[in-house]
Amino acid sequence: MNKEDSNPTLEARRGFLAKLAGAATCAGAAAGAAALGAIPTVSAKTEAPPAGASFPTKDYDWTKHQWGFGVDATKCIGCLRCVEACKTENEVPRNAHQFRTWVERYVHLEGEDEVRIDSQQDPVNIEASGSEKEFRFANRYKDAKVEKAFFVPKLCNHCTHPACVQVCPTGATYRTEDGVVLIDHGYCIGCRYCVQACPYGARYFNEEQGVSDKCTWCYHRITKGLQPACVEVCPVGARVFGDQKDKQSPISLFIRNNRVQVLRPETGNAPNVFYVGIDKEVN
Amino acid sequence: MPKHIFRLVSLILGFLAVAIVAKPFLTVDSFYRFGHYRANSVTEIASQEPVLQTANYCKDCHTERHAQWSASSHKSVTCEICHGVALNHPEKGKLPIPKDAVKLCALCHEAMTGRPRTQPQIQVAQHAGGQQCTVCHNPHSPKIAAALVRVSGNAAAGKQKAADCAACHGTAGISPNDTWPNLAGQNAAYLVRILSAYKSGDQKDVAMTPLAQDLNDADIQNLASYYAGLSCKGAAGEKAAGDIAAGKVLSKNCVACHGETGIGSNPAWPKLAAQKQGYLANALKAFKAGLRKDPMMASVSRGLSDTDIADLAAYYAAQNCQTTKNP
Repeated sequence: MNKEDSNPTLEARRGFLAKLAGAATCAGAAAGAAALGAIPTVSAKTEAPPAGASFPTKDYDWTKHQWGFGVDATKCIGCLRCVEACKTENEVPRNAHQFRTWVERYVHLEGEDEVRIDSQQDPVNIEASGSEKEFRFANRYKDAKVEKAFFVPKLCNHCTHPACVQVCPTGATYRTEDGVVLIDHGYCIGCRYCVQACPYGARYFNEEQGVSDKCTWCYHRITKGLQPACVEVCPVGARVFGDQKDKQSPISLFIRNNRVQVLRPETGNAPNVFYVGIDKEVN
Repeated sequence: MPKHIFRLVSLILGFLAVAIVAKPFLTVDSFYRFGHYRANSVTEIASQEPVLQTANYCKDCHTERHAQWSASSHKSVTCEICHGVALNHPEKGKLPIPKDAVKLCALCHEAMTGRPRTQPQIQVAQHAGGQQCTVCHNPHSPKIAAALVRVSGNAAAGKQKAADCAACHGTAGISPNDTWPNLAGQNAAYLVRILSAYKSGDQKDVAMTPLAQDLNDADIQNLASYYAGLSCKGAAGEKAAGDIAAGKVLSKNCVACHGETGIGSNPAWPKLAAQKQGYLANALKAFKAGLRKDPMMASVSRGLSDTDIADLAAYYAAQNCQTTKNP
């Protein structure tokens, strides 16, 4: 007892807690009424905007669209102009490790059971590019006995039930009414939970800005009637984009006229990027 | 209730109350408008300015190029793929014309594992001897344009007209001297192209220019059909004025267009096999001096000495002109 009484630290802490508890009780009682009044204010904000107002911009109404993306892997030539265009359009860091969209090469060699997969991150491809700021595939299999090979463009799948949105603790990532999963860089705290949650590895962490980042289907372009940058530059038409609500749009025709599949359907994310011409190894 | 429990519970209730009171003030207005996110961020993202412009942006100033490009097989390759981002152009300077065409074109056209067969691909090291692609191909319309010349003339009508040509080119298209070219068996598309060039003034020759100016388009078609249909038998003859073996070595650079023995696969380019060697030598010298204008021939003839030219002429003159696919 004597010892405790003479401990100034403990006394100070007790005093502080006593004061805090008193203050809290008072505040609690006083704030009770205020809190009850405040809750309806919060819930009032969840209401829909007044009818007729165009959102998110005055020239674009997101309730009229439902975007979708198609990839025809049988057409892709692996020129990586999409990667280049995406980096330019969206200020993605100029290196061979952070991408909003990228292209993978799948190669089956004679006598091998496992498929070989390489992408722009591979040192051999970086070397062939000349630097990490340029992008090209190395012609590394030209002397090998190749049974089968193809390129597969990858990007965010803009899932209908996105795992990344579910895990975000701050509401910094969300799915828009027109079917695009976006990131609010102002609200992202850089916890990278979403990067871990995405089953497709579509997200990367931007160290410079301290935020997660990923493909937006060039939301700033599609809301102005343009195509996403990667679709715009693809020289062989391997990338298709359009409005699924419009039955004559390129994506609607793509889905209707092809046998399409999505990546990893078993995860329940329900992707909105539809693939043609890929093997079961692609996921 | 024990005193310490009361304190703990009131503490928790206190924090809860503060949180409930503070939350509306700390939550930005647009946060719950559509869901658990800030609605204004959608507007912010949608309002960013596009960086890549489309080809329509280039169309108004580069009208001619745009028209050529949009009619070509390269119309799916947008301007900015090769020339860079057009944002701030022309306000902030010119856009680059790519210097290393081989590197750029190989991005799509290098033969590579995994590329679909429908994509035109080349072995870069074995194609055109490492020359820049732009020597032969116009990047805005890469298919060799002259190949599209269609010949649908009447050979009989051409034969009548050909009476005017016989003095120099021989009655059967085999020239009586070494200076004028044989025409018998020549590619019709090439003949049309070259006669049209004389007529339009793109190519000039003291004798040929006035003659070609008197021809109409039908005459040109008819003449080309007539001469193309003649047999080139008996064309060769003169003694070689150069080293045939040396010419054969030099001819490696000509193979892509003119074939190994002077008979190329593309009818837009002339057959050289069994052509008059004096004519061949003169033509090469004219290309070298810029008297005959052709971007492709100008660049390949630039490095040739007079001896090289004589050797090449001797080599092609000594080849058999009848090993063609269409005898």
